[in-house]
Amino acid sequence: MSAKTPEATRDLVARVFDEDAGKIQGRAYTDPDIYALELETIFKRCWLFLAHETQIPGPGDFLSTYMGEDPVVVVRQKDGEVKAFLNQCRHRGMRLCRSDMGSKARNFTCVYHGWVYGLGGELVGVPLEEQAYGKVDKAEWGARPVPRIVRYKGLIFGNWDADAPDFLEYLGDAAFYLDVLLDRSAAGTQAIGGIHKWVIPCNWKFAAEQFASDMYHAPVAHLSVSMSVKPVVEEEQVDFGHEGRQFRSDRGHGTGFFVGAGRRQLLGSFVGPEVARYMSEEGKEQAVERLGFVRGEYMHAQHMTVFPNFSFLPTANTVRVWHPKGPNEIEVWAWTLVEADASDEVKEAYRVGGLRSFSAAGIFEQEDGENWVEIQRVLKGSSAQDTWFHIGMGQGRARTDDPQFPGTVGWVYSEEAARGFYAHWQKLLTHPTDPVIPQNEGTCTGETCHAAE
Amino acid sequence: MLPSDPILRQYQVEQFYYAEAELLDDRRYDEWFALLEDDIRYFMPMRFNRGRREMHLEFSDDRQSAYYDEDKESMAVRQRKLACGSNWAEDPPSRTRHLISNVRIADGAVPGELAVKSAFLVYRNRLERQTEIFAGERQDVLRVRDGGFRIARRTVLLDQATLLTSSLSIFF
Ligand code: FES
Ligand SMILES: [Fe+2]
Repeated sequence: MSAKTPEATRDLVARVFDEDAGKIQGRAYTDPDIYALELETIFKRCWLFLAHETQIPGPGDFLSTYMGEDPVVVVRQKDGEVKAFLNQCRHRGMRLCRSDMGSKARNFTCVYHGWVYGLGGELVGVPLEEQAYGKVDKAEWGARPVPRIVRYKGLIFGNWDADAPDFLEYLGDAAFYLDVLLDRSAAGTQAIGGIHKWVIPCNWKFAAEQFASDMYHAPVAHLSVSMSVKPVVEEEQVDFGHEGRQFRSDRGHGTGFFVGAGRRQLLGSFVGPEVARYMSEEGKEQAVERLGFVRGEYMHAQHMTVFPNFSFLPTANTVRVWHPKGPNEIEVWAWTLVEADASDEVKEAYRVGGLRSFSAAGIFEQEDGENWVEIQRVLKGSSAQDTWFHIGMGQGRARTDDPQFPGTVGWVYSEEAARGFYAHWQKLLTHPTDPVIPQNEGTCTGETCHAAE
Repeated sequence: MLPSDPILRQYQVEQFYYAEAELLDDRRYDEWFALLEDDIRYFMPMRFNRGRREMHLEFSDDRQSAYYDEDKESMAVRQRKLACGSNWAEDPPSRTRHLISNVRIADGAVPGELAVKSAFLVYRNRLERQTEIFAGERQDVLRVRDGGFRIARRTVLLDQATLLTSSLSIFF
């Protein structure tokens, strides 16, 4: 396939998603030029999840991960700070660190010719420097640093864009919903060890969109779960319920959740009776104290995506990144989070509950993989790529004056958040020099810019 | 009763494994689940790329996550899921072939138990052309019961760090 010019690709992006008509075209998920533009203008300008603090607790502890398709190393510094740098030697480009993780590293030595980098990626040693080079300007030739790092309630995010908006502005109203995962306890959270990694041959947006916006699939795709798990309260069948909301962010994020009754039953079916008990008893009390009734007790079974590719389920406490690996493939990196002050029994319940529900072998996750894989396989066809998909659920029904929930809020079964996700995606791709988040009145945003042209 | 003749014992364990593989490959899941003891731990730890000096941390431990960490009850959930009629990840079902080899037998911790290591190669093919090959080691505790063997513990060590599959809906 011949490569399109950036302008032609932007034109295509502008055409493949039509918010007013509530439709999106298959090509959005397959076009290699769109994918290249995504890496360039989304993954290099947005805040991307890197690690949980407890995954690199001590000086020299490190984790290898990806920002888009760029490998990075995230390292705890001697002073407790966190730095990240491109996992690429500045001499001839070798991957500097080939371990998934490690502890107490003193430095990173390239195995090709032996250039040595410090914990922050700074170049500290060059073999035969004097004889071979005379002098290498070490300040100039360090590994490329991730210029912006933010630590937010236990999570570490990075951004390639030195001028990126502050993380809280980047979140906007989504912070209210993210805190349901992170802020239930004064003790904070910790990651259960081990990151699940598996490969799904599908476009990254299917996964990110689903976690932003798709409660609708649960009763059908995951029907087998409600048929297989034993109800926590005997005689009481698992009921997914219909009372709930979905939130659309004006910066691409999205979340949905049920409210009120059925909480304990759903919790039990997700991750087992011990987690259901904890979330209904001691875990609930402090959550309500910190987050209020709405977030501490009323909301449940929440799904959420922080744009572009960081997703989680606060009930199951599964947290994941959908790492893009080309337009037709992702690697899922998933792990489980738990309140740091929960008892050992509760932590163990989350550990087994999480892996049995939401991992490659999880009784929920098995079906998610199946759906995305087959969607992507169908999209090999030219007619299939030209097909318009319906993304109009709940169109025109959301409101911005919900007394309990900030932002644009609709019914739990909606695609409001999906439309918000793709509207933001479209804006970033078609207006690559505009600010990433909406500006105050009077400044040029994607929409107004377009109108003015 | 365990045979005292090591050749006979080797033969019996291998025959048990072949019959077990047949149950999985023929999708006779209820019969396969019946081979699991009530105190079963079916465990498949995660595996990491780490430097040589950290090879003792190559596999996830008991406090970390795992691909499978199942007891009798959670295996029963999986058994019901396979049979429920809406288990889309295995419906249409995968085609699998379990090849078991390199069987090495030692006495177990208590009389009546054996500690058995074996190698496996599991081929899986599903839908039009999705194909995966899994290799690894199984570490079993087999218990003699009713004139045959039952599985009291199985640890599956997979020879992959990144799972090369879109979903893990089969057993090893
Ligand atoms: S490529 Fe790293 S030292 Fe040469
Ligand atoms: Fe799902």
